Amino acid sequence: MFNIIQKMKPKTRTQHGNKMGKKKLAQDVNPNLQKNLDTLKVVYSYPDNTDFLIRELFISGLNKKAAILFISTITDFKLIDEHIIAPLLNNKDENIPIHNIITIQSIENKHTIQDTMKDINSGNAALFIEGEKQAYSVNVANFEGRGIENPENETVVKGPKESFNEKAFTNISLIRKRLKNENLVIENSVVSQRSNNVVYTLYIKDITSEKLLENVRERLNTLDVDAIQNLSLLEQYIEERKYSLFPTVLYTERPDRAVSFLEDGYIVLLMDNSPDSIVLPATFWSFFHTSEDHYLRFMYGNFTRLLRIFALFITIFTSSIYISVVTFHIEMIPPDLLLAIAASREKVPFPAVIEVLLMEVAFELIREAGLRVPSPIGPTIGIVGALILGQAAVEANIVSPIVVIVVALSGLSSFAVGDISMNFTIRILRFGFILAASVFGIYGMTAVFTLGLFYMISLKSFGVPYLSPLTPKYKSSGDTVFRRVLQHETFRPGYVKPKDITKR
Amino acid sequence: MGEPKDKIGIKEYIAIALFMIGTKTTDDIPSMLFDSLQNAGWIAPIISGILAILPLFLLLHIAANYQDKSLIDIIYHIFGKFLGFLVLFFLWAIGFFYIVLDTATYTDIISTMYFVKTPAILIYATLMGVCAYGAKRGLEQIGSVSWSVLPYLQVSLFLSLILTIGQGNLGFLFPVFGPGEWDVLKESTMKISLYMDFLYLFMLFPFVKSTKDFKKGTWIAFFLILINLSITMVSYVMLFDYKSVMLLNYPYHETIRSISLGFLTNIETLFFPFWLIASFIKFAAYLYINIMLFGKLFKIEHFEYIMPAFATLIVFLGLLPESPTFAIFDLKAMVGNLASPLFFFLPIIMWTLAKFKGDLRK
Amino acid sequence: MSKLRTTGKIFIIILLVFILSGCMDQTEVDQLAYVVAIGLGKSEEDDNLVKITYIFANPESGTQAGGSGGDEPPQETISFSATDFITSRSLANAVIAKQVTYDLLRLIIVSEDFAKDEDFIRWIYDATKAMEIRRDIRLLVSQEEPSVFVQNNQPKLDTRPHQYFELMFNRGLNTGTVPPSKLNRFFRITEADANLFLSIYATTELNDDTKENKDPDNIAAGEFEFEGETNNTQFAGSAVFKEGIMIDTLTIEETRLAFLLSNVLQQPDEILTSLPDPFTDEHYLTVRIRRESNVDLKMNLDKTKPSILATIPISIEVMTNHGMTDFTDSEKIRQTLEKSFEDTLTEKFDELIKKTQEKYSTEPFGWSLVARKEFLTIPEWESFDWMKTYPNMEIHTDVRVDLEKFGRQTELPSLDEMRD
Repeated sequence: MFNIIQKMKPKTRTQHGNKMGKKKLAQDVNPNLQKNLDTLKVVYSYPDNTDFLIRELFISGLNKKAAILFISTITDFKLIDEHIIAPLLNNKDENIPIHNIITIQSIENKHTIQDTMKDINSGNAALFIEGEKQAYSVNVANFEGRGIENPENETVVKGPKESFNEKAFTNISLIRKRLKNENLVIENSVVSQRSNNVVYTLYIKDITSEKLLENVRERLNTLDVDAIQNLSLLEQYIEERKYSLFPTVLYTERPDRAVSFLEDGYIVLLMDNSPDSIVLPATFWSFFHTSEDHYLRFMYGNFTRLLRIFALFITIFTSSIYISVVTFHIEMIPPDLLLAIAASREKVPFPAVIEVLLMEVAFELIREAGLRVPSPIGPTIGIVGALILGQAAVEANIVSPIVVIVVALSGLSSFAVGDISMNFTIRILRFGFILAASVFGIYGMTAVFTLGLFYMISLKSFGVPYLSPLTPKYKSSGDTVFRRVLQHETFRPGYVKPKDITKR
Repeated sequence: MGEPKDKIGIKEYIAIALFMIGTKTTDDIPSMLFDSLQNAGWIAPIISGILAILPLFLLLHIAANYQDKSLIDIIYHIFGKFLGFLVLFFLWAIGFFYIVLDTATYTDIISTMYFVKTPAILIYATLMGVCAYGAKRGLEQIGSVSWSVLPYLQVSLFLSLILTIGQGNLGFLFPVFGPGEWDVLKESTMKISLYMDFLYLFMLFPFVKSTKDFKKGTWIAFFLILINLSITMVSYVMLFDYKSVMLLNYPYHETIRSISLGFLTNIETLFFPFWLIASFIKFAAYLYINIMLFGKLFKIEHFEYIMPAFATLIVFLGLLPESPTFAIFDLKAMVGNLASPLFFFLPIIMWTLAKFKGDLRK
Repeated sequence: MSKLRTTGKIFIIILLVFILSGCMDQTEVDQLAYVVAIGLGKSEEDDNLVKITYIFANPESGTQAGGSGGDEPPQETISFSATDFITSRSLANAVIAKQVTYDLLRLIIVSEDFAKDEDFIRWIYDATKAMEIRRDIRLLVSQEEPSVFVQNNQPKLDTRPHQYFELMFNRGLNTGTVPPSKLNRFFRITEADANLFLSIYATTELNDDTKENKDPDNIAAGEFEFEGETNNTQFAGSAVFKEGIMIDTLTIEETRLAFLLSNVLQQPDEILTSLPDPFTDEHYLTVRIRRESNVDLKMNLDKTKPSILATIPISIEVMTNHGMTDFTDSEKIRQTLEKSFEDTLTEKFDELIKKTQEKYSTEPFGWSLVARKEFLTIPEWESFDWMKTYPNMEIHTDVRVDLEKFGRQTELPSLDEMRD
C-alpha cells in the first residue's frame, strides 16, 4: 500500500500544484495594470489573505495609474511610506524614469509575473505602472528575527562569542566581517519548488576546488522537493549515506569556525531560518575539533585535544570493557578489585550486561528528558536523576556501585565531544559495543571495532575520505588528533584539493 | 568496485606487508622453528631472509621491467597461456590452502588460549566475517586501515617485547648455535617459505603509486619483518629457555600470559585486542589478494562478490581437521616444504625465461 | 527501505546470537568461588589420588559496599582426595555452592612428604594444561600436610588470604629470607635438567628440638622462636628441588648466600645480618649486605680439570657497633674490618658451595647458564653434562668488600673515657 501512495505522490503534485503556475504565472507583465492586478489577486487570494496588501495610487507627474503590492508582515512599512509612496505622489516631473523617483538602494525590473511574485514572497514590494511591460521590484524586506546572540552548543571560554542567527543576511555579514576579501563569493540557488527556499553557497574563488564546487552545485540543483525549511533538513537531503551512523556534513553555529573552514578551501552553506551553517566536505577530525583548540595556546589546546580523545574512548569503551572483563576476562582484574566487584555484585539480581544496560538506558533517558523539560525545572531533573536514582538503585541492590561509576563516567565523558551528530554517533556506538562485549567479550569488541574501522575508512564526504589526512595521506597541516604550532600550519588540507595549497 | 581505482601509497603498502608477514611471529611459526632449531630458532628468519634476498631482487627486477603489469600478467606473458595458467593456479591453490590452515590456526589460538568453552565455529565465523567484510571493501581500505592502526600495534608489540626481555635472561640464548651450525643452516634454508607471501604481494604491484615506492616499500617491509621476527623469537627464548619454548604451541600467547606490568599481573587481555586487529587485517589482505588472483584466473571482473562465498567455504574447510593444534601444525609444515622451493626457484626461472625472451633491458 | 529491512534482519540475528550464546565462556563474578591457594598432599588411601586442599577467598569480608556482610569469615578451606586438581574443581562443588575458579590462584602448597615423592612431577604438570593456572604463581613447600597448614594458618591482621600471602612473599623476597619460587622457573629448571630449584619453605608447627644458642639467621621454617599473640605460620628458608623432587632444605642464611651468588635471582633490597667484630671477641656487628653488581664468573671448562673463579662484589654498611671501636680513626682499622668481612663471607660461600657440590651435585645459583656461553651447540653442552661435572669442579670464590656508611652517626663516645 505504501508503494502505491509513493508512486502516486509525484503525479498529484504536477496535476494540482504546477498546473496553474504553468499556465498563468509564466506570462509576461501585461501593460494593462488591472489585468495584472486581477491575476495577482487570484493568486494571493485577495482579500481573504489579510497581510497581502495592494496600494493603488496615481503618479501625478507621469500621469499614470500605479499599484504597489506587498506582504505587510515581511516588509518595512515605513520604508514603503517614505521612499516609495511619498516620492511617487509628490512627483511633478514628467520625463523621469521610475528609478530616479524611488529613493531606495535596490530596485530591479521584472518582466514576468512569476519573477515578481517570487520577489513579493521574499519581502519586496512590487510596483506596477499602467502601460509598462515590466514591474519594479523594490527591496523593502523586513523579516522579524532575533539578534546576534551567544553560541549555545559550541561555547568557548576564549575567543569570539557571536553565533549565527536565523537571518541569512546577518550570517553573511558576520562572515564578511571576518573575511574582507573580494574573492569570497556568495551564490544563491533555490532548492525547493513550493516554498522557494534559498541556499547561499559561500566559497573563496581562488582557493576552493572547481570540482568540489561543481559536486555541491549539482547536488543542490538536483533536489526535487516542495520545501526545505532549514539547513538541518538540507543536510539530510544532500548527504551520501542516509543510513550511516557517522555524520558526513559538519554543522556549526560559529561564524569564526565557518570562516576558518572557508579559508581552507571548504564550502559553507547558509540558509534563512537556520542559526548555523553547513561545512562541506567534513572529515572525522572536523567533528572532533572545536574552534577553541586553536584559540588556546599550543600546549593548552593540545591538552584539551588529549582529554577529548580520551573521553571519546572512555565513552565508547568503558561500559563494554567492564562487561567483557567481568564476564569473560576476570583474570585481568587485580585481585583486590576483583573481590570488591564480586562483593558488590553479590546481591544484584541481574547479569552484568543487563545491569549496565539498565543504567545506560536510565542515563540516556535522564539526558533526553533533561533536554525537553521546561527550563525552570531543568536543574531538578539532574538532581533527581543523578542522586536519587543512582543512590536508590544501589541501596535497593538493583545495580552495584561500580556500575554506577562506570556508567556515570562514560556518560559524562560523552559530553566532551561537542558536535551533536558525532555525539549521537558515539552514544549509539556504545550500545553496539556493549552488545558485542556481552556476546564475545574482548573478541567481540575487537571484531566490531575492526568492522567499524573498515566502514569508517570507506566513508567519503563529497569525495573526501573520512579519515584523511591521517589515511590516505594528503599534504596538509597535520591537524588530526593534535595540532601543530600555528607557524607550522602552512598548508591547506590537500584532500579538499584547494587551488592554492600554501597558506602564507 | 572490482580492481582498486585509487592507488595505495608506500606507507599503506608497507603496513599491509607487515600485517601479512610480520604477524607470523605471533602464531605457531616460532614453535615450528624452535622445534627443529631449539634455542637457535631466532637465527632462522635471518638466514632464510638473506637467502630470500635473491628471489626478491629478481622479482623486483622483473616487475620494474614490465611496468604497469602485475605479477599475474607477467607470468602469463613469460610462460604463455597454458603454462602460465597452471603456475598461477598452483600459486592460488597454495595460497588458498594456506589461508584455510592459517585461519584455522588463529581460531585455535583464540579458542584454546582465550575462549575455551565457546564452539570453534562461532569464533571462526566471526573471524572470517570480519575479514570478508574488510576484503570486500577493497585494497585501499585495507591499506588505510593497516596504516592507521599500525603504530598502535607496533607499540603494543614493543611493549610486550620490552617487558619480556626485561623479565627474561640473556643466558638462555646460549649455546648460540642450538643443534649445531650445519643444522641451523639447513633447517633455515628449508624455512624460506616464511617470506613466500612476498610473491603474493607482487600481485599488488600495479596498484602501488610508483615503481620506486614499490621497490623501496618492499625492502623496508622486508627488513622490518626480518627484525620483528628475530627479535620476538629472541625474546621468547629469553623468557622460557629452549627446553620449555619447544613445548609451547603458541609462544607469543604464553609470553603475554607470563609477563606482568607493575600492579597488573595478568595483562594478556591488554595485548589480545591488538593482536586480534592485526589478525583481522592480515586475513582481509590475504583473502583480497587470493580472490583477486582467482578472479583473474577465471575472468571474474567483480570478484568481491564471491568473497562471502569463499569466506564461508574457508570456515567449513578449516573446521575439518580433528584436534587442530597438531593436525594443522603438520599440514602447515607440509605446505611450507612445498612452498619453499617454489618461492626460491620461480623467480629464477622467470628471470631466465625473460632474459631468454630478451625482455630485460639493462 | 530494503536496506533498513536488511539491517533489521542483521540486528535480529545478532540479538539471537546474543540470547543463544549466553552461556559459553560467560561467567558472573559473583557466582564464582575464588581459590587463592591449592594444597597438594599425599593421599592416605591410594597412590593414584592426591589430597587437595583449597583456600577460598571471601569477597564480602571487609567490604562495606552494598549493605552488610562484614561478619563473614575472610576465608573458607576444604580438603579432600581427588585424582588431580583439575577434576577436583567439580568435586568441590559437593560442598561449595559456587563454581570453583583458579583465576585468583596465587599459590600451590605442597607437603614436604609429597614433594619428596618422585610422582610429584606428574601432578604438578597438570598446571600447564589448565588455562586459568598461570605460570607466575608460586610454589610453597610446607613441612606438614597442606590441610593442616591451611587450618593452622590464621593471620590475625591481614585476614584476606590473597593479600596475606602476597605481602608475606614480597617481604620475604625483600629481606632475602625466601626464594621467589615461581612455577615457570620450576618448570624451566626441571626441563633444563642442570640446576636446583629453590622453593619457599614454610610451616605452621614449631619445631621443639631446636638446638639452643643457634645463630638466629641459621634457621629454617619452624625454628624461629617467638612469643606473642599472632599467626604461627613461618616462611623461612627454602626447599631444594632436584629434577623435580625435593631433596633438602636451606636455612635463611643459606638462602641469602644463594641469592648473593646468583645472577639469575633478583637481589633482595636489604640483607640485614650480623658478622663477627674483628676487634672484640664477644660482640657482633650488624651489617646491611648488598651486592654491587653481577657475580663475575670465570670458567675453564676442560673436561679434565674444570674450574670456576667467582668474584663477588659486595658492599657492606655497618649498622651497629657494640664493640664501640672507632672506625673513623684510621684507614688501617677499616682495612682490617674489610679483610675480616671478606674472610667471613668467603668462608660462608665456600661452605655452601661445598655443600652443593657434595650433597646435591649441582647448584641453585644458575651458573650453568653462564657455562652454556662456553659452548656453541646444544649437543656439546649436553654431552658436557653439568650435573656430572659440577661436583668435581674446582671452585674459588673471591669476595670483594666495599665498606659504605657507618650508620647515621658515625662516631661513638669512647667507652674507656666514659667508664673512667
